[in-house]
Amino acid sequence: MKKILFFALVLALAVFLPMTATAQATPLKFLYYADATQAGYQEDMDEFIQKFKDDNPDIDLQVEILFSQAYHQKLGAYIASGQLPDVVYMWPTNRDSSLLLHSLKLVRDLKPLLGADFLKPFTASALNPNAQASKKLAELPQSFTYTTTVYVNKKLLADNGLTPPKTYAQMKAMVTKLKAKGVQTLLLPDGDQWPAQSCLFSTIAGRMVGDVFTDNLVAGKAKFTSPSFVAALTFYATLFKDGVIDKNNMTMGYGDGPGLLASGKAAMFVDGDWRVGAYLTDKSTGQALIPPDNQATDFVFINFPAIPNEKFPGVASGIAGVGLGITTAVKPGSDVEKAAVKLLKWYYGPEVQAMKLRTGAFIPTRTDVLNFEGLEPFNKMINDYKNTLKPSYVIDGVWHPDVFNVLNAGLQAIGLGSETPAGLAKKLQAAQDGLPK
Amino acid sequence: MKYQVRSPLASRFLGTTGRTVAYVVMGLFAAMTIYPILWLLLNSFKSTPDFRLDKIGLPPKWFPVNYAGAWTVGEFGKFIPNSLLYTAAGTLGVLFFAIIAGFAFAKIRSRATPVLYGSFVMGILLSIQSVMVPLFIEVNQLDLLLGALFQSLGIMKATSFHLFYNTRLGMILIYIGSGLPIAIYLSTEYIRGIPGALVEAARIDGASFFAIFRSVILPLTAPIATTIAILQVPAIWNEFALINIIISKNELKSLPLGIMRFDGTRMTDYGKIFAALVVGMMPMLAFYVVFRKQITKGVAGGALKG
Amino acid sequence: MELALRRRAEEQRAYWLFVSPAVILYALVLAFPIVVSILLSLSNYNGGLMFGGKPWSIVGLQQYGKLIHDPQFWLAFRNNIYIVLISAFGQVPLGFVFAYLIYRKIVKGGEFWQAILYAPNIISVVVLGLLWKMIVNSNGLLEDVLNRLYAHGFLGSLNHVFANGFVMSDDLVRQLIKIADPGALATFSDPFTDLKDFLAGYTPDQLSVLKSDLTNLLARRWSPEFMARPGVAMLPILFVFLWCWTGLYLIMFLANMQKIDKEIIEAARIDGAGEGQVLSRIVLPSLSGVIANAVILCIAGSLNSFTLIWAMTGGGPMNVTEVLSIYMYRTAVVSVNYPLSNAIAMSIVAFSLVLIALTKLVEKRWGGRE
Repeated sequence: MKKILFFALVLALAVFLPMTATAQATPLKFLYYADATQAGYQEDMDEFIQKFKDDNPDIDLQVEILFSQAYHQKLGAYIASGQLPDVVYMWPTNRDSSLLLHSLKLVRDLKPLLGADFLKPFTASALNPNAQASKKLAELPQSFTYTTTVYVNKKLLADNGLTPPKTYAQMKAMVTKLKAKGVQTLLLPDGDQWPAQSCLFSTIAGRMVGDVFTDNLVAGKAKFTSPSFVAALTFYATLFKDGVIDKNNMTMGYGDGPGLLASGKAAMFVDGDWRVGAYLTDKSTGQALIPPDNQATDFVFINFPAIPNEKFPGVASGIAGVGLGITTAVKPGSDVEKAAVKLLKWYYGPEVQAMKLRTGAFIPTRTDVLNFEGLEPFNKMINDYKNTLKPSYVIDGVWHPDVFNVLNAGLQAIGLGSETPAGLAKKLQAAQDGLPK
Repeated sequence: MKYQVRSPLASRFLGTTGRTVAYVVMGLFAAMTIYPILWLLLNSFKSTPDFRLDKIGLPPKWFPVNYAGAWTVGEFGKFIPNSLLYTAAGTLGVLFFAIIAGFAFAKIRSRATPVLYGSFVMGILLSIQSVMVPLFIEVNQLDLLLGALFQSLGIMKATSFHLFYNTRLGMILIYIGSGLPIAIYLSTEYIRGIPGALVEAARIDGASFFAIFRSVILPLTAPIATTIAILQVPAIWNEFALINIIISKNELKSLPLGIMRFDGTRMTDYGKIFAALVVGMMPMLAFYVVFRKQITKGVAGGALKG
Repeated sequence: MELALRRRAEEQRAYWLFVSPAVILYALVLAFPIVVSILLSLSNYNGGLMFGGKPWSIVGLQQYGKLIHDPQFWLAFRNNIYIVLISAFGQVPLGFVFAYLIYRKIVKGGEFWQAILYAPNIISVVVLGLLWKMIVNSNGLLEDVLNRLYAHGFLGSLNHVFANGFVMSDDLVRQLIKIADPGALATFSDPFTDLKDFLAGYTPDQLSVLKSDLTNLLARRWSPEFMARPGVAMLPILFVFLWCWTGLYLIMFLANMQKIDKEIIEAARIDGAGEGQVLSRIVLPSLSGVIANAVILCIAGSLNSFTLIWAMTGGGPMNVTEVLSIYMYRTAVVSVNYPLSNAIAMSIVAFSLVLIALTKLVEKRWGGRE
C-alpha cells in the first residue's frame, strides 16, 4: 500500500513540476554538430554559443549538440515525427540526414533571409546554389573543402635523393627506392571505406572522365561500364599493382594515417585538406604531431600528380562545405525567423569565423577574416595550396548513396585484389539501374 | 545405483593433462582481461600525438590533464548523476513490476496468462534498435494528447507539455519497459519454483494477496532479484542509442552520451577518449567488485528451472 | 459457494492489479512500436513525416522479397549463425566445463577464476574494439610480428646468396629473383632489369645496408586479404565473443551446481562412480534446465549482438563481418530506408523464434529429470 502511494506521489510531482510559466524569450531550437575532440571545440562553445546566449537575452537558444551517427539518427527521428528544429547543421549534398532535408524540401533559401549585403564577403563557390542538392542556398558553406591533398614529407624524399612528383611516372619510379628503406610511397588508410572514393578516386575520375560525364552517369545517360570510366578504375588498380599504395592500407584505420606520415614510415599521404588539423599543436597538452618549426621546412602539400591520358589536368575533387541552414519549421515573418537569422549572422559574422580560422577548425569562405599571422605554418600552407586548385566533383556528393556505397566497398576490394575494374563497373551499373525512378 | 569401476584412462585425463589445459585456457582468458584494462589506464595519460606515434608503449610524457579535459568537455559532472538516477530508478522499477507480475503469473490462475506471459517472452527477442523511431514518435504524440486533454479540462494553459518526451520520468519508464521481458521471464520461472503450499497456507489464514506478496514471496526472491539487477544495471548504465533519441535537453543526458562526444571520425582526441572511457568504467568496476558475492548467489537462483 | 466466488474475485482483482502496470508499460514501450515497425516493414514509407504527412500505405511483402534475394542479407545471417554456434557450442560448454572443474575442485583458486573470467563483461566494447583493431588490422601487432618473422627468414636466404660478399653479376640477380617473394616481385614491370638497376646503386662495402634494403624490398609481407574473406574474417570476432561471455555461463552453472545435494555425490563416489559418471549421471541432468535457459539467452543475445562487432570491425572490411543488426542499422541510418530496416528486424525475430523452438525440442528429447 505504501509503495503504491509513494509511486502515485512521484507521478503527481512529475506531472505538475514541468509546468512552467510560458517564457517571454523567443525559443530557438538549434541542432548543432560538433565533436568534442576537434580543434576549437571549447572556443566554439564559449565564443559562439555562450556569447550568443549572453548577447541575446530575448532569445531562448535551445541547442542540442550531437555528432556523427547520433546526429543523423536524431535528425531522422525529428523529421519523422514532425519536430523539425529551427536551425540545423547540414551538408550541401545528400549525405545521411541531409538527404531528407533536401529531398523533402525542409530547408529555406538563405539568400533572401541573409541578404546580399551580408553575403558580399563570401566566395563565389560558397554562394553557388548549383553546388547544393536542392539547387538553392539551403545552407551557407562555411568552407570549401578539397578532398584530395597529398601531404609530402619532402625532407624524407630529399634524404633519398627524390623530389615531390609532378607526374605519375615520377611517383612510380620512387617506389623501389622507398620500399627498400621500409617507407611506403603513398599512404591511403581505407579501413573505413570512404577515403579511397572521396580522397583519391574522385580526383582520378575528375581527371579522366570529368564532371559532365559524371552528371551523365547519375542521370543514367552514360554507363559505368563505358571504356573511359573503366579506364579510371583501372588506373586506380594500377596504383596497387605498381606498389605505389601498399595493399595493407585497405584495412588500416583512418586514424592511423597522420602518425605514419609524421614518423617517417610513409613519404606521402593522401587525404582531405581537413586532415591538416591532426598535425597541429593539441592545445590541452601542448604536443604537436609535426612541430610548427618543421612544418614549412620538411613538408609540402601538392596535388595528385599528372595521370597518363588524363583529359582534365590539374583538377582536384572539392566540394562546398557544411554549414547552418534554416528549416521550414520557421515561419516567414515570425519572431523565430528573426532569431534564426540573428543566429546565422552571428555564426557567419567576422568574430566567429575568425575564431574558426584561429583554432584550426577550417578555413572560412568568408574572405575578410583570412589573417594567418600567429598561426602555425600548415594553416597558411593549406590555404595557399587550395588557391591553386580547380574543383571537380566529389563522388559521394553527387552519386546516389546506394551506388557510391557499392563503389566504396569495391575500391577496397580492388585494393585487396579481390575485385577487378570491369567487375566493379558492372556492379555499379547494376546498382544504378536498381535505383527507384 | 550401480556404477562401473572408474577407468584408468578417464582418471588420468581428468588428472594432470586436463588440469594443465584448463589452467592454460583460463590463464589466457584472464590475461586477455587484465591487459586491456592496464592498456587503457596507461594510454589515458598519453597525449594524442604521442599515442599516434606509439600505440603500445608507456607514455613518454604523462598528461593527467586528459582527465580534466575529458571531465569538462564530457560534462561528466552533470551526466554521472543522471546515469545514477536512470540506473537506480530503472532497475528498482523493473524489479518491482516484474516480481509482482511474476507472482501473479506464477501463482494466480487466469486465462489471460498464456497470452500476456507469452507476449512478454516474445519481447525478449526484440532489439530496441528497431523500435527507436516509432517509440520517439509515440512518446511525442502521447505528450501532445495529454497536453490537449489537460488543456481542455482547464488544468493547464501552457501549450508545451512535457511529461514523457525529453523528461527524466519518460526515460525511466522507457528503461523499465524495455527491461520487463527478460525480468518477467526470469521472475515467473523462479516464483513457479516456490512451493504453492506456502501461498495456500497464507490464503487459508485469510491474508490478502498483497500481504502474501510482501511477507511470503518477496523475501524469497533475493536471488532472482539479484540476477535481474545484474542484467539491468550494466544494460541501463551503458545504454546510449535509446537515450540519444528520446532526450534532447543537455541537462538530462547520461554518461554514455558524454563519452560519445569524443568520437571524432576526423581527428580523434585519443587522450581524452581514453580518459573518458576510464571514468566510464570506474562505476561499473566498483559495482562489480561490491556485488561480486551477490552475483555468484544471484545468477544461479534465476536460472534455476522447475 | 459464495465464499469461493468472492475469493475468486479477489484473486482476479489482485491478478490484474499486479500485472497491469507491467503490461501497460510493455505495451507502450515495446509492443506498440513493434507493431508500427511491422507496418513500416510492409510499407512504402520514404522518410518525412510519419503521421500526418504524405500518406504511405501498406504495399505488402516487397521488402521481405528483396531480402530473400539479397546476398548481403544471407551473408549477415550466416555471420549471425556463426555467433550462435560459438555461443551455444563454445561459451556454454566451456563455461560448463570450467564451472565443473571449479566445482569439483579439480582446479584451485575457484574464487579468483570466477571473478576474472566474468570481468570482460565490464570492459567497454569501445576499448575492446580499439585494442583488437590494433592487433589485427594493418599496421598492427600481428602484421608487425609476422613481417619480422618473414624478414628474418629472408635474411637467412640472403646471407647464403651473399656468402662471398657483394659481387655484381647477372647470376646474382637471378638468384635474388629466385628467393624473392612473388608478391613483392609483382610490382616490378621487368624484375631482372629493375633489380639490376637497383643493385647498381650500391657499392660492395655497403653490403649490410644492401641486405636490409633487399629484405624490405623482396621479403614476403603480411597481407590483409587473408583476413578479409567472408567467414575467415569472423574468426577474431568469434574468439572475442568466446572470451567475453564464457564467464557469465560459468557463474550461472557453478552457482546451480552448488545447489546440488552434496550427499548424492558422496554416495555415488562411495559406490565407486568415476568422475565421468558423476558428471553424466548427476550433474548434467540436474542442470539440463539451466543449460537450456542458457542456450536460449545465448540465441537471443547472438542474434541481436551489435556493439562489440561494430567496435571491432564496423561490419567490414567490405561488409564481410556484418551481422543482421548492423545491416539493419546501416539501412536505417545511412540509407534512411526504414521499411527495409524494419523488415530485417522482423527477420531477426523470426529466426530467433525458429532457433528457440529447436532448442526447446532438443531439451524435451534429451533433458533430464531435475
